[in-house]
Amino acid sequence: MLYRVINADELPALIEAFMKDYEVVAPVAKGKSFAFEPIASFDEIVLDYPTTLTSLKKYYLPPKETLFEFNTGGGGDGIEPYEMSVKPRVLFGAHACDINALNNLNLVFDDSRYPDPYYDAHRKATMIVGISCSPTSTCFCHLLESDEVRSGYDLFLTDIGDRYFVSIGSVEAANILEAACDPREADDEDRSSFRKATRARQEAFDEGIPHIQEIPMLMDAFHSDEFWDELGGRCLSCTACSSVCPTCYCFDIVDVLDPSGATGRRDRVWDACTSPQFALVTGGHNFRSSTKERVRHRMYHKLNGFNSQHGRYLCVGCGRCVRACKADISPIEVLRFFEKKGADDAE
Amino acid sequence: MPNSTCVKVNPLESASIALSGAEMMRANPYRPWPARITSITQLTETEKLFEFRFVDERIRSAFHHEPGQFVEVSIFGVGEAPISISSSPSKGGFIELCVRRAGEFTQRLHEMQCGDVVGIRGPYGNPFPFEEMKGHDILLVAGGLGIAPLRSLINNIHDERSEFDNVTIIYGSKNPGEVMFRDQFEMWRHRQDFDLYLTVDNPDDTWDGEVGLVTAPFAHLEVDAGNTYGAVCGPPVMYRFVVEEMRKKGISYDHIYMSFERHMKCGMGKCGHCQIGHQYCCIDGPVFNYWEAKNIQGSM
Amino acid sequence: MTDTANIPRVVLVGLASCFGCQINITNVEKHLMDVLGQIDMRYWQLTSSDPMPEDIDVAVIEGAVTTEEAKRTVEDLRSRAGVVMTIGACANTAGIPGIASRAYDGRQHEVYGEHVPALVEDIAFVPQAVHDVVEVDYEVPCCPIDPMDFVKTLQNALYGSNVYRHSSTLCGECKRNERGCFFGRETLCLGLVTRSGCGARCPNLGRPCNGCAGLSPDANVESARHAAEKSNIDVRAFDSALEIFNMIGMGEQRV
Repeated sequence: MLYRVINADELPALIEAFMKDYEVVAPVAKGKSFAFEPIASFDEIVLDYPTTLTSLKKYYLPPKETLFEFNTGGGGDGIEPYEMSVKPRVLFGAHACDINALNNLNLVFDDSRYPDPYYDAHRKATMIVGISCSPTSTCFCHLLESDEVRSGYDLFLTDIGDRYFVSIGSVEAANILEAACDPREADDEDRSSFRKATRARQEAFDEGIPHIQEIPMLMDAFHSDEFWDELGGRCLSCTACSSVCPTCYCFDIVDVLDPSGATGRRDRVWDACTSPQFALVTGGHNFRSSTKERVRHRMYHKLNGFNSQHGRYLCVGCGRCVRACKADISPIEVLRFFEKKGADDAE
Repeated sequence: MPNSTCVKVNPLESASIALSGAEMMRANPYRPWPARITSITQLTETEKLFEFRFVDERIRSAFHHEPGQFVEVSIFGVGEAPISISSSPSKGGFIELCVRRAGEFTQRLHEMQCGDVVGIRGPYGNPFPFEEMKGHDILLVAGGLGIAPLRSLINNIHDERSEFDNVTIIYGSKNPGEVMFRDQFEMWRHRQDFDLYLTVDNPDDTWDGEVGLVTAPFAHLEVDAGNTYGAVCGPPVMYRFVVEEMRKKGISYDHIYMSFERHMKCGMGKCGHCQIGHQYCCIDGPVFNYWEAKNIQGSM
Repeated sequence: MTDTANIPRVVLVGLASCFGCQINITNVEKHLMDVLGQIDMRYWQLTSSDPMPEDIDVAVIEGAVTTEEAKRTVEDLRSRAGVVMTIGACANTAGIPGIASRAYDGRQHEVYGEHVPALVEDIAFVPQAVHDVVEVDYEVPCCPIDPMDFVKTLQNALYGSNVYRHSSTLCGECKRNERGCFFGRETLCLGLVTRSGCGARCPNLGRPCNGCAGLSPDANVESARHAAEKSNIDVRAFDSALEIFNMIGMGEQRV
């Protein structure tokens, strides 16, 4: 990976350079929380934001997206000319977990058998600039191999005091960086500061969140444990978890008619496996009819299922669901359960 | 800098550019292609067999399916539904779908007439291992509407009958009135193409077949376990009992195939609705062998 | 549908309610003619004094069933219409008449003693949701209804749709609006148990959800109460807020 160093006071110039040709989305303050939103100036950005309420996935997989338009005159023979265009965009200030999350979505949607032209259009039009972070009390990315990111960004900025250690991931970003700033080769002091910064981050994680080995195997081994009755029994069936999750990508496909009934569109909309109707089939059978089964399935996919398909955890440990769930259901609870099962005095 | 990127979904686009049918389908896998209803057969009170032909010749010639696969059928405004293909791939140019009137979508489909047009995309899914099954005995067990995907396999086997050894079909229904394709199956039994066991839970005066669960005929069934492939499709409760009977007969885990029902909404391993454990029914299934199924949490 | 014989005949009947849902339908003037073009509007209580026709395809009912007469009306509509659709909280949950009736319980005896006149007895009918009287095919929730939701539901009834009506509760939609949670501010919100579908528009305008879409059949009231308690919200206030749902025996709602 190519890297350079820039001074912190060069950052506004970099943002301005991006803003010439791109919509720049960055973390901004929103009430007591933070959100990714398009910005008009560098000053709006909160560089040291802890985490945002929801993730960046909305820019790759919008909550509602039209697939095509149709008329209803011809049954299945009425597709209307339809064009979706996507704004070139820079996602500025993404934390490592969130870039890893987008990388996970790429694994699903960048499929040689079934290319997804909509997702692909968003992805191709997007540049990602990551920024280093300091863990909050609900962060557990380090336990799920997502606290660092090696690909999937154009630039990644690590704060090393009054300057940034910049990893450069694409030629487009390198060109903009060179034109807007004065990137220089790193010296020994920069490298030492970088090392200190990564160590400081590593030491800042909440050690109360247990580090568990072989999580995927444990998800299989304890699949029938009573724990799931208790955890699922608390579920409010609200789907807040998947709304805030950076890696929940499930969707529904729905036809929506215009008021005239003569035309309409086919949309894909976010859906959630914790929604009671998610596994319902025609005729009324529901393959996951209880909160227990739904909560367990969601955790299973995050901590086992995706691994067997793609070789890594789907959950990136961003901690958003930990905050969003009013019933305290989160992967952390699953890790705590495994810890309890392994304790010396476990039953 | 990138220009703004676009997705075009345009029925005319393909007309101006010389694309092959396969390229047209691949360009946007979410786009259904117009298919005309060319025949409708009322099978039972609630089931009809529809024959569809793609309107565009290029799609018609590019569309190839294998037994066990399914398509997504669209009626614009009503929505889309996954339906398994009931016809054999050996007959090209059309596909048959056996549809039970069970929900709003199928209600509207049942109201359609010959000549009406729906949208179809696909085919999707992991099929039965037809080539691998050749040279073996075949034991097919269907319950209720489970006959729909199995019929594709049955017809395909029939079209290449000399490639297979003994073929046995066990097909259970609730009532005599719900038995589908009976004339066709009886004719093949008569010609000694297949051994056929038709069984119903609730016989009436006219019923001359077997009575009882679909597992009942296993009691007097002789199976050459080492040379047999099993295939099962039916309601969710049926699988466990049938595969256990097959196991008792000595058929290997990986020679017992089953087709699962889930709500495949995208058909392409993305939307998540059809997930079973760590697998997607739409791309990893709907046909799994028993060994695979045993390794999927919540499969049966 | 060019053949007039096939145009669905629709009636819109108001029972005990403020008529706000009917008025809200007129508020989509922009689309109203589009919608009316698809149906034969035979009777609309708010806008016309024409008598109710004999033949009906779709009966739209606003308001709660609060009298024996209203009950007969609803039963009659059910027997004649292929599709029955209820609109608004009063029709779907007994709404405000249901909530108010609890305060009237026993009052007739305070006034009339033992001999309560028949007319008053009729008024003392415990208000019911329409679905407690007859089978209902489609419900348009909220107080008042979103008129575009009404249009969509009417179209589902006319043309069919394989879209499920979700029973998930509101917080998921609220989070899509990127809103923080009222519970974090120790403020009571019924979103945790209220059926989703409205897009969480009240929380999005800074007001907690008051549950007008009705209790979700999958609501986990016990867990929500526990969540309220943890967030320093008075549990009695939470329980009393649940009264909006008019669910008798709340403890038994969740099995």
